[in-house]
Amino acid sequence: MEKTQKIEEALSIIWEEREKKLYNKTGIKDKIFERLNEDVLEELLKDGYVTIDKDIVKFTKEGEAIAKDITRRQRLAERLLTDVLELDRGAIDSPACEFEHILSKEVEESICTLLGHPKECPHGLAIPPGGCCVKARAQIESIVVPLTKILPGEVAKIVYVLTREHPQLHKLMSLGLVPGANVSVHQTSPSFVIQVEETQVALEKDIAKEIYVKRLK
Amino acid sequence: MNILLVGNPNVGKSVIFNALTGSYVTVSNYPGTTVEVSKGVARFGSTSFNVIDTPGVNSLTPHSEDEKVTRDIISRGDIACIVHVVDSKNLKRSLPLALELMALKIPVVLNLNMADEAAERGIHINVKKLSERLGLEIVETVATTKEGIHKLKEAILKARLPGSDALNNLVKKEALSIDKILSLRQRGRLAYKLLEGAMSISKPLEKSISEKISRLTTRPITGLPILLVVLVVLYLFVGKFAAGTLVDLLEHGVFGKYVNPFFINMVSRLTPVPVIRELLVGQYGVITMAMTYSIAIIFPIVTAFFIFFGILEDSGYLPRLSVLSDRLFKTMGLNGRAILPMVLGLGCGTMATLTARILDTKKERILVSLLLTLAIPCSAQLGVIMGMLGGSSIKALLIWVGIILSVMIIVGLFASKIVPGSRTPFIQEIPPIRLPQMTNILIKTAARLKWYLKEAMPLFVLGTFILFISDRIGLLRTFEHFLRPLIVNGLALPEKATESFIVGFLRRDYGAAGLYMLARAGQLDKIQMLVSLVVITLFVPCIAQLFVTIKERGFKIGCAIGSFVFVFAFLVGYILNFALRQLAERGIAIL
Repeated sequence: MEKTQKIEEALSIIWEEREKKLYNKTGIKDKIFERLNEDVLEELLKDGYVTIDKDIVKFTKEGEAIAKDITRRQRLAERLLTDVLELDRGAIDSPACEFEHILSKEVEESICTLLGHPKECPHGLAIPPGGCCVKARAQIESIVVPLTKILPGEVAKIVYVLTREHPQLHKLMSLGLVPGANVSVHQTSPSFVIQVEETQVALEKDIAKEIYVKRLK
Repeated sequence: MNILLVGNPNVGKSVIFNALTGSYVTVSNYPGTTVEVSKGVARFGSTSFNVIDTPGVNSLTPHSEDEKVTRDIISRGDIACIVHVVDSKNLKRSLPLALELMALKIPVVLNLNMADEAAERGIHINVKKLSERLGLEIVETVATTKEGIHKLKEAILKARLPGSDALNNLVKKEALSIDKILSLRQRGRLAYKLLEGAMSISKPLEKSISEKISRLTTRPITGLPILLVVLVVLYLFVGKFAAGTLVDLLEHGVFGKYVNPFFINMVSRLTPVPVIRELLVGQYGVITMAMTYSIAIIFPIVTAFFIFFGILEDSGYLPRLSVLSDRLFKTMGLNGRAILPMVLGLGCGTMATLTARILDTKKERILVSLLLTLAIPCSAQLGVIMGMLGGSSIKALLIWVGIILSVMIIVGLFASKIVPGSRTPFIQEIPPIRLPQMTNILIKTAARLKWYLKEAMPLFVLGTFILFISDRIGLLRTFEHFLRPLIVNGLALPEKATESFIVGFLRRDYGAAGLYMLARAGQLDKIQMLVSLVVITLFVPCIAQLFVTIKERGFKIGCAIGSFVFVFAFLVGYILNFALRQLAERGIAIL
């Protein structure tokens, strides 16, 4: 592994720990060693990516920016592999790991736009927003949008379903609302009525919001 | 040995069950009609099998009560064959369940039901090809017209353990194992592959007439007027025609002129013993009261209601109401699916309480049981009320509806804050609009009437008997005296109304029928009529519903619901009476 890659990887581990509200030096050290087989923390300190104060590890400004970037790319890559290429969860972890280090800023932004500026990775962790997300919120509508953005009479293809509740996901899937299925929207108020093949389903807005689709017509 | 009917909700398992066994279980056009497992016997030439109808499931992984029930039956064993009933037009999304069933090492027959609807939509399924691929018997049927039932029976006898080389190869190619538990996604992909080349859609999907009607019913701008029309027709048919014209004819004509005089005459001649005479044809006589009430008043009303209701059920209209009502139910901690048990409660609260199982969380089921107990009158009671208020003034009927609805919403609102637990978001499959078949409506109505006579008549007789005894030994007077502060002072009703509340414990409609008779005798003024009807509507459910509520929700919750409703009903009646009297004194007559 190259040095920059190693540093990026280590910073992303610290980011992950910070999400879990863990800042302890030894804990972080162990985690880094477990994944990289090497103790990089001292190096990070030396290069000015982190500070350590009373065993509490903190990012410097520079370190935080890199960590945020790499985490974002890693999680975007995961989304891309599961939602668009439809790989299984188990299969994505290692390719995604390689992927993030070679993504340019440009490619990263176009993936993000393609996916509709997703907010979470397939494991349910937050994807830090990038510049494109902020811009998108303001003006452009992305290709992948929540079902709530589809007007009555339009047809769209399901890209992914973002629901945390397993029983609901299960119910949607058994009704045929699976990634790749085409849905036509019949009405949007007071409840959504959509059709997937020969099945008509009524949903409330909160559920429609979690179904991400690509507009077809 | 048992034959098990398994399949997704609303694919017609119960129609197949009826066709195989020649018995009758209720069938309708909405998911979740079958809440209890039904069993019957089917004869196949010389052999006979037990046929078991199960509630609809989407998979064998138990996510809902229904799925638990079905999985338990399968794991109990002793199964000769599983008949997987599938809606042909939705074959693709049913195949994952088929794959699950095929992994059980039990013979499976795939039944492609509603073959006519698939054909109408231009969906062609190559049965032979698919049968070879899956390695099992596949039969197309149109259960409602019994088409293909004979073939289905033959296939059941020929049923074998599913599986074929083609399937094994495909599974291997996908790097999966059929014996292992596959994820829904994996099964979905497998199903997709299996159907490649075995199913084709020949014409583009175009909007049919039923589809156009369907859209009109779910859009508020057309859906609400349609709902209004449905309600007006209900009122005219049940409230005016049945509770007015038919009851008049039966009660005054048939019973008043012929039946009762005949029996009174006969009994007086046969028995000189006054007690027996009183018991049969007296004021609280089994014939003059119980029979007159149940046959002359309630029977025509429930018949009309069951016919109307059957048409609504079979058309597929009811699930469409959930689209319109989801937001309303959201305020009560429920979702649009709750409309099903609620509307069914207008048929029979006892059955509806069982249907509450279709809701996902415990909280939702408790809320629905509470609202069913409190605010939903059953068909017989509703008919009597419509007849009574409709006869005096439409305004009174509308006020009654307004009060009951507001009570329901307010109580629902508060109860949803108090009862712990969560609400599930609204996801509901909407079945296609279908033209109801008159034969099915009549069979269904006949089955329900039979049930009504079996359930209700004994309770009417029992209630009358209790009144008779209480009257004899003076208990009735004591009761009336004891309840006097409540009924006479609190609600300003005549003492005789106490009887109605007492028998109302046994049957809701019996109580209402008592008030109906009082009103007819001119013993209730308009305010009294409205107050008494509001109280008897909200007041305790019938004994059967109370027991089912306790059985379904548990003793503590059942009793809590019962006692709350009892107190609350009188409270609302008291306030209503007070408000109306105060207004009347100031010269404002609302009624």
